[in-house]
Amino acid sequence: MSVQKTEFKRMIRRYFKSPTNLLGTVLLILFVIIAILAPVICPPKAGADPFKIPIATWSAAPQAPSADHPFGVIGGRDIFYGVIWGTRAAFKIGLVVSLISSVIGLIIGSISAYFGGWVDEIMMRITDIFMSIPFLVAAMIMTTILGKGLDKVMVALIIFGWMRVARLIRGNILQAKSEQYVLAAKALGIPDWKIIVKHILPNTIFPVLVQISMRIGSLVITAASLSFLGVGAEPGYADWGTILSYSRNWMTELSKSWFAILYPGVAMILFVLAWNLVGDGLRDTFDPKMK
Amino acid sequence: MNNDKKPLLKVKDLKTHFHTEDGLVKAVDGISYEVYPGETLGIVGESGCGKSVNSLSIMRLLESNAEVHGEISFEDKSILKLSEPQMRKIRGNDIAMIFQEPMTALNPVFTVGDQIEEAIILHQKKSRDEAHQMAIDMLRKVGIPEPTKRVDEYPHELSGGMRQRAMIAMALSCNPRVLIADEPTTALDVTIQAQILELMKSLQDEYGMSIIMITHDLGVIAEVADRVVVMYAGKVVEYADAVTLFKNPKHPYTWGLLNAIPRLDIEQDTLYNIPGVVPDPLNFPKGCKFHTRCSFCQEKCKGEEPELIEVEQNHFVRCYYTEKVEEEKAKAKAGENA
Repeated sequence: MSVQKTEFKRMIRRYFKSPTNLLGTVLLILFVIIAILAPVICPPKAGADPFKIPIATWSAAPQAPSADHPFGVIGGRDIFYGVIWGTRAAFKIGLVVSLISSVIGLIIGSISAYFGGWVDEIMMRITDIFMSIPFLVAAMIMTTILGKGLDKVMVALIIFGWMRVARLIRGNILQAKSEQYVLAAKALGIPDWKIIVKHILPNTIFPVLVQISMRIGSLVITAASLSFLGVGAEPGYADWGTILSYSRNWMTELSKSWFAILYPGVAMILFVLAWNLVGDGLRDTFDPKMK
Repeated sequence: MNNDKKPLLKVKDLKTHFHTEDGLVKAVDGISYEVYPGETLGIVGESGCGKSVNSLSIMRLLESNAEVHGEISFEDKSILKLSEPQMRKIRGNDIAMIFQEPMTALNPVFTVGDQIEEAIILHQKKSRDEAHQMAIDMLRKVGIPEPTKRVDEYPHELSGGMRQRAMIAMALSCNPRVLIADEPTTALDVTIQAQILELMKSLQDEYGMSIIMITHDLGVIAEVADRVVVMYAGKVVEYADAVTLFKNPKHPYTWGLLNAIPRLDIEQDTLYNIPGVVPDPLNFPKGCKFHTRCSFCQEKCKGEEPELIEVEQNHFVRCYYTEKVEEEKAKAKAGENA
């Protein structure tokens, strides 16, 4: 037990040695704090859905930042409120979509690799079919069919988001499958499912965890682009892409609407950057091949 | 000889063929042997002669492109006819296996104890605590110092010899009737080899199990085996008890292998080796498969493959010209005495 602990400590120390890892982690913690404190920073109106940005004004024209609305107003909505509560939406999209789609990919990939033969053939061809459809187009069509709303966007992203993990885990398992400890476990009469769960997955899961952390950031961008294109979250939803989509009508007059692009844009960039730095750091720290 | 007893494991005309992209590979091509209770059967041969495929056939652990024919009976069960769940009950519980590479045969992410307990919990239906205690006892039995501490360590914290001991503990944890040891000492250095063989012998005395010792090392065979199967290119070329085989080899291949062992008692400038290499399994020579490398080869050997015949009681040889080996032996003896 003590050996495990010191090894873990060593890993942590190695992780924080790199300034970029530190930066990523600090950014991420900052976002987590904002997401947790959202009701304190921007208390929603009693009884209203907190993810709906309250309407600040009925005038359509954007209003520059002021004391009441520190990030300005666009489409009649307070941008500051949208950015703060948008952090929650971003975590929701990123974590839920990447976790569920990865679990699906994990199950499909491991069954495919472990059993091989025609099972593998069929599952991988299905994966190929899903991969051959352009992701953004597929997600747009899905949301048009399912209807507007962030939950629908998440469903669409999950349906078209599991293939990469499935392929990754399949490749890793094919490699681990030929390891002698798998044969040794079989020779002891251990049943198949137990060999997958106990002997193969723990030896192959790590690259997937790194992938998940890297994907969380990019998923938020994808969701935002769907919102921007008008097939994502419903209007007025506290989501960075939705705020950006309001600025679409004022793009020719940047001097009047710059704040509607800048604040949600910066939030998005920092969010993606944070996850990428953390993902990179995890890989550098834990992947023995990178040393 | 144990011929009065009933064999525990009987392999009859076992043929394991692989369908590959290049054609049919006859890795094991009609071998037969018996394993009696409590004895050690040695299977010797060069790499690629089919000895490991033979053991994996018994365990039914081959890839799906393998085709296994013949008969393997364990006690009264015909192994090749069992269902997969029935087979799983035999694996580990009745027939266990230890592997060549102790470095890779243990899962790096679990403790040694974890891996031993897994089989105990599965086959013997023990609780976690009981299994843990049994794992510690097993580790003590295989001579690992401080077993209560070692049981919670990871494979990378153990040395090669210790890992092989842990592997043996794992294989013996369910008290199997037959232990298949596939080159258990090849990856270890010589002093550790001797310790491991010693350990296996003493555990055999204690548990009364049979061992199938698969190796390319005749030294190992001399140390532990009661009877020996010599394999070449997927076939048995000689089958006898160990004393007979070492004193009175009849097949040119066995004779060559014995000659290739370095000797300390005579002056040797160069070590003897059998010329040539093992033939390509996709393209075995016609006739006797050893004829391409045999110094006694005659026309007849190139035409038709000899049968495995019983030249003396319980001594089987697959060769037309066993007397040539006799002449050679006599010559060697004369040379030594001169």
